[in-house]
Amino acid sequence: MQDIIRRLEEQRARARLGGGERRIAAQHAKGKLTARERIEVLLDEGSFEEWDMFKEHRCTDFGMEKEHIPGDGVVTGYGTINGRLVFVFSQDFTVFGGSLSEAHAEKICKIMDQAMKVGAPVIGLNDSGGARIQEGVASLGGYADVFQRNVLASGVIPQISMIMGPCAGGAVYSPAMTDFIFMVKDTSYMFVTGPDVVKTVTHEEVTAEELGGAITHTTRSGVADAAFENDIEALLQLRRFFDFLPLNNREKPPVRPTSDVAERMEPSLDTLVPDNPNQPYDIKELILKVVDEGDFFEVQPDYAKNIVVGFGRMEGRTVGFVANQPMVLAGCLDIKSSIKAARFVRFCDAFNIPIVTFVDVPGFLPGTAQEYGGIIKHGAKLLYAYAEATVPKITVITRKAYGGAYDVMASKHLRGDVNFAWPTAEIAVMGPKGAVEIIFRDEKNDPEKIAAREAEYREKFANPFVAARRGYIDDVIMPHATRKRICRSLAMLEDKKLENPWRKHGNIPL
Amino acid sequence: MFKKILIANRGEIACRVIKTARKMGIATVAVYSEADRRALHVQLADEAVCIGPAPSKESYLAMDKIIAACKQTGAEAVHPGYGFLSENEEFARRLEEEGIVFIGPKHAAIAAMGDKIASKKLAMQAGVNTIPGYNEPIESAEEAVRIARDIGYPVMIKASAGGGGKGLRVAYDDAQCREGFESCRNEARNAFGDDRVFIEKFVEEPRHIEIQVFGDAWGNYVYLFERECSVQRRHQKVVEEAPSPFIDPDTRRAMGEQAVALARAVQYQSAGTVEFVVGKDKSFYFLEMNTRLQVEHPVTEMITGLDLVEWMIRIAAGEKLPLSQSELRIDGWAMECRINAEDPFRGFLPSTGRLVKFRPPAEVPGQVRVDTGVYEGGEISMYYDSMIAKLIVHGRDRLEAIERMQEALDAFVIRGIHSNIPFQAALMQHPRFREGRLTTGFIAEEFPHGFTPEMVPHEDPLMLRLILAAVEHKWRLRNARLSGQMNGRRYAPTPSYHVIDAHGSTPATVEALSDVRFVVRSGDRVLQIDFDPRWRLGEIVLQVRIGDAPMTVQLEREGILYVLRHHGAELRARVLPAHIAALWPLMPLKSPPDMSKFLLSPMPGLLREVAVAEGQEVKAGEKLAVIEAMKMENILRAEQDGKVKKIVAKPGASLAVDEVILEFE
Repeated sequence: MQDIIRRLEEQRARARLGGGERRIAAQHAKGKLTARERIEVLLDEGSFEEWDMFKEHRCTDFGMEKEHIPGDGVVTGYGTINGRLVFVFSQDFTVFGGSLSEAHAEKICKIMDQAMKVGAPVIGLNDSGGARIQEGVASLGGYADVFQRNVLASGVIPQISMIMGPCAGGAVYSPAMTDFIFMVKDTSYMFVTGPDVVKTVTHEEVTAEELGGAITHTTRSGVADAAFENDIEALLQLRRFFDFLPLNNREKPPVRPTSDVAERMEPSLDTLVPDNPNQPYDIKELILKVVDEGDFFEVQPDYAKNIVVGFGRMEGRTVGFVANQPMVLAGCLDIKSSIKAARFVRFCDAFNIPIVTFVDVPGFLPGTAQEYGGIIKHGAKLLYAYAEATVPKITVITRKAYGGAYDVMASKHLRGDVNFAWPTAEIAVMGPKGAVEIIFRDEKNDPEKIAAREAEYREKFANPFVAARRGYIDDVIMPHATRKRICRSLAMLEDKKLENPWRKHGNIPL
Repeated sequence: MFKKILIANRGEIACRVIKTARKMGIATVAVYSEADRRALHVQLADEAVCIGPAPSKESYLAMDKIIAACKQTGAEAVHPGYGFLSENEEFARRLEEEGIVFIGPKHAAIAAMGDKIASKKLAMQAGVNTIPGYNEPIESAEEAVRIARDIGYPVMIKASAGGGGKGLRVAYDDAQCREGFESCRNEARNAFGDDRVFIEKFVEEPRHIEIQVFGDAWGNYVYLFERECSVQRRHQKVVEEAPSPFIDPDTRRAMGEQAVALARAVQYQSAGTVEFVVGKDKSFYFLEMNTRLQVEHPVTEMITGLDLVEWMIRIAAGEKLPLSQSELRIDGWAMECRINAEDPFRGFLPSTGRLVKFRPPAEVPGQVRVDTGVYEGGEISMYYDSMIAKLIVHGRDRLEAIERMQEALDAFVIRGIHSNIPFQAALMQHPRFREGRLTTGFIAEEFPHGFTPEMVPHEDPLMLRLILAAVEHKWRLRNARLSGQMNGRRYAPTPSYHVIDAHGSTPATVEALSDVRFVVRSGDRVLQIDFDPRWRLGEIVLQVRIGDAPMTVQLEREGILYVLRHHGAELRARVLPAHIAALWPLMPLKSPPDMSKFLLSPMPGLLREVAVAEGQEVKAGEKLAVIEAMKMENILRAEQDGKVKKIVAKPGASLAVDEVILEFE
């Protein structure tokens, strides 16, 4: 017995040391924490319960039979974040470069399976050189086992990936199928093929950072949802992010007590929309003044900035915000912004998070680039997502709601529960200028007449009343009371029940 | 008494006049330009008339339109505020001709005092001390140089019609004299339509002390003591106070009597201010007389308990002065900070845009007063003056006034645009300011290389760090009340932290005695911190009590970084639980990207001129470009020697802040 306990202690000590002090020092020298340190930062103090600490690989080729490190390059288990259950795997770059072996994959699969059974999210902290090449196809099989679980867990439990080192080749597809991908600036990168292969095949000279660094994926590709300065900031922000999410698709999002009252008025919102209809304003000011405590976690803040998405709380309850941003491309919908918002809306719908939409959209972005790129199909994604969503949907039109984009942005017709308009709202098929040029085509050479027609059109449609008369708008509200009105609507919708017809799955235009 | 008056002005002064008129039961008419459609003075007035487009020339300076507005609304009198038409003789005369009362002096008095050369002669005749100078308009730069040499450098070049620091240059040599003469004349022509310029001796180490005078139509005159306005930045007043910490009762009386003598000489009937420059030996010389209400009049109101606007209205209506000289007393100490829309950390360049947050401190009668013409959600446009508010405090003595001002500045929240509040807070705790050792060169001498956040040391940085530890613990305790936690395993955050800032890491343990009472320990230091129970997380202004002492700080959280501001000092720190703080030293230090190869626009504005060409070698200090914003031309100079690689922005372009103008090699 004594002997066994001593051996246990020795094994534990060995496992905790991972790839050894030299490799830990190398990891630290890169500004990176070790797998275990990361878990310490992420989870509540002392809450981590580790599984499979002694698991080892079974490879006997290329001398691997002589190299065994307990844990095999990944630390797995569960713990809590602000007391709420979460499963975690944290790849250990100090052990075989964090490479994925069959055993390594089994450890990940084990916690994923358990997370599915108990209904708790999975967070992956990725820092891996890729497949364990010595194991060959066994390693590939391991990846696929994880992929399959990612897919089955999708929409059942939230899955979050934090990329904290390399993530290349097939390895990228596990994070790609999780709900959110975060990255650490300068120390993480993701790509399907690395700079060397790229150079051989396409003769492009590119660094790993340029090809797949945090900046690339948060500004150009849209693969990642946010980038952070360093490991500690990233993990503490992940704690903050986690607090918004429900544990699974059967639960409502968590409630965080707040002293911010629903009745808080914001008189300054009455002047948010400028007099000049072509002058932009920052829609984020509206979000920040409406949410509890001004606490808003923006998702993809640097990608497709013409739409803003992210999480906030109203009276302590999580709400997903989607808002057109007049500061960028006049708030037009385009390919990137449609995809960005569609994915966010679907996440909210999957996890019972009410959606609040702020609309100021002059339409879809015109041009060959958009049409050739398939704006029809991509724009339809957002339409599909909103139409499919059964969670509470509240829409506030602040200014423009023109054309098809009006329909798309959580309109009444797409089962919007409560649709408000500010007095500055203009709900119309298009802007006055374009409309008049079509309706009064034969007068287009008479600028005076056209101007008069334009004024007439503006007078008639540049207000919320036409839509309100038809019931497309439930009420015209004062901007300063926006928070109060949304809170009240959310309270009314608390027990909303709506189900879509049974089907194997819908066919969203991918 | 009048039934209805029109206020021919905008901003805080229009609002301030409306307040008094309302108190007196007089209806008010505001006028506004198209840019001011949503301005506060328009909302406060009983009626409002739009008088034209945004540029002042076509609106607030357009006499015809203002007179038409009077007729249209039936206003019997016009209060001009300060600036704009307040010292315009023609305006006063035309109103008199139209049978509308000008709430200010008679046009003859404005004429006599408006011309600085004529006024100086008059002052001499009235027995007022004057400083040596050349009292005729100067025709050319060469003549200016000759005269300047006669008087002896340094000299001051002033626009005859100038005021408030506009159209004023100091020259220390011939070259500066030439340049100053030309630019002064151009500015005067553009701003006032009068390009006469004169020169006088520049008194070094001077104080600016002015006397408030009043006269009525019955030949009565009084002086309402002095205001010291020595704290100036580029001849623009920054802080004003009354009384002056410098002069004694005898000097005060002598200055007051001379000021009254001058008022009497022009049969002055209204509020006026006689400005003096006061030397080290308390010798004083007449500078000019401002024939209007001054920006800084509230400090006089605070020490006398009077309403100067009410006096002006009464006198204009033909009433006698309410009090005689022997009935006037100085009570306590008053101080005013001008709150400007400018960025103190970027050379005080003007800042425009939407006031995303504007929360002045609470007004307390007799202690704290806020005069403003803006509101949260309003727009600071590039067309007008950058002063958006005045913060005025009163205390029993100077020190109490300063402390009250510090407290009020700490509670003043402005976001969306930059303001000079951090600079004002720094002044309030500057030892030389607190000692009252002021000269008009005070700011230039004490802040010769501009102003940076690091320049403001805090008297107790440890206390600020410990407050942050308490805030973080409060935040984590609240977060730990999230729903959905594992049964019986409610999370309790460990109370040991490290506060990590640029100076290192400070350990602190926090004990929560209640939701609002925390005891923080660090080494030997123990602080009991009581949070204002009404404070909610996310609110910028935080009031706490440290033991028995109340304290107001501003607190913001950007990601995991706290920014805490108090008394002008800024603490940027992260508060990490001890076990995480131990790992912090492993995090790489990242420096911001190098932008020194670019000349960036420091403010939004119009690119007037690019003074260099591509491929040109430039020396440090050389003029690179000129940007116009808020009526001011701002010259951007090279910070170091270099060669221009590429000019990115074209003259005439509207620039956003931080937009690249040109690139160096």
